[in-house]
Amino acid sequence: MSNEINCIALIGKQNNPLYLKNFSNTHPDLKYHYIAHTSIDVIEERVASGPKNLDLYLGLLYAMEDLAVYGYMTNTRVKFVVVVSVTEGIIRDADMKTIFKKIHSAYLSQVCNPFYNLDSQRSIDSKAFIQAIETIGVNANSKATMEI
Amino acid sequence: MTSAPSAKQFKALGEEVWKSKVEKINAELFTLTYGSLVVQLVKDYEDYSEVNKQLEQMGYNIGQRLIEDFLARSGIGRCVEFRDTAEAVSKLGFKMFLNITPNVANWSSDMKEFSLIFDENPLTEFVELPEDALEGGLWYSNIYCGVLRGALEMVQMQVETTFVSDVLRGDDATEIRVKLIRYLEEEVPAGED
Repeated sequence: MSNEINCIALIGKQNNPLYLKNFSNTHPDLKYHYIAHTSIDVIEERVASGPKNLDLYLGLLYAMEDLAVYGYMTNTRVKFVVVVSVTEGIIRDADMKTIFKKIHSAYLSQVCNPFYNLDSQRSIDSKAFIQAIETIGVNANSKATMEI
Repeated sequence: MTSAPSAKQFKALGEEVWKSKVEKINAELFTLTYGSLVVQLVKDYEDYSEVNKQLEQMGYNIGQRLIEDFLARSGIGRCVEFRDTAEAVSKLGFKMFLNITPNVANWSSDMKEFSLIFDENPLTEFVELPEDALEGGLWYSNIYCGVLRGALEMVQMQVETTFVSDVLRGDDATEIRVKLIRYLEEEVPAGED
């Protein structure tokens, strides 16, 4: 087992937490909340410094002890953060991009639900969405390497 | 079409009309429009049974007009029996306007009632009903009931249409029950406003 997704987090355009899923049992949820929150600053820095940044995928935001944090921001300023535990060398950008695309799809399906209130600051509690995120994490982790 | 067309003929005609004579729009736009309509009604009325009624009424108005378009495009003549009506509704009507063909089933013994069973519903893409809508008894696609009632009334059939079950509410299937009350003869239909 090389790299594993430990956490997927979604942050709204007002930097409110939309959803967080902890896949690992090494760290408590709270730690990932902190990580996601820190990521917001890093993302804003990245975006401010490079206005010609046309890509939604932001790449590696920062790394800590055993974790690497990747970011992705939509044009509507919704941010996705994926925390990966790094045990072996290489995590391919292409793989991360695929994961982010899937998260983006799940988010799109959620947004298209007319009963979902975009402006509410509450987190997402739709069963379909929770299931979709669960599937993304589980599928990514069930492969021996990070090939999707 | 001379004598009672068979289900197969309806199906073939439906395909043909859908392919050649119908202008299409984007599915997401349609779904989102209907969705925001329902949500707005929910906000305005705050009572789900009232929302159901409004959706049905809107559908009724649509159905009264839609039937003319339907008849013009499909060119079919009068249905001889209620059975033909059912087939025409499912294989021509729904096909032409939504590109779906619900199944006709559960005929009553006197052949005056049948069910339409939908295995897909374009109105409900991405929709998840919130808790209070489920408890309040919202039939999200209730506009279909109104459309059927309005359209059939214009061809001299008074029907009652109700939802029996809906996948959105966790049931196994989406089913509408259509019941023929009576054929309307030359009299003026009871004032419906």
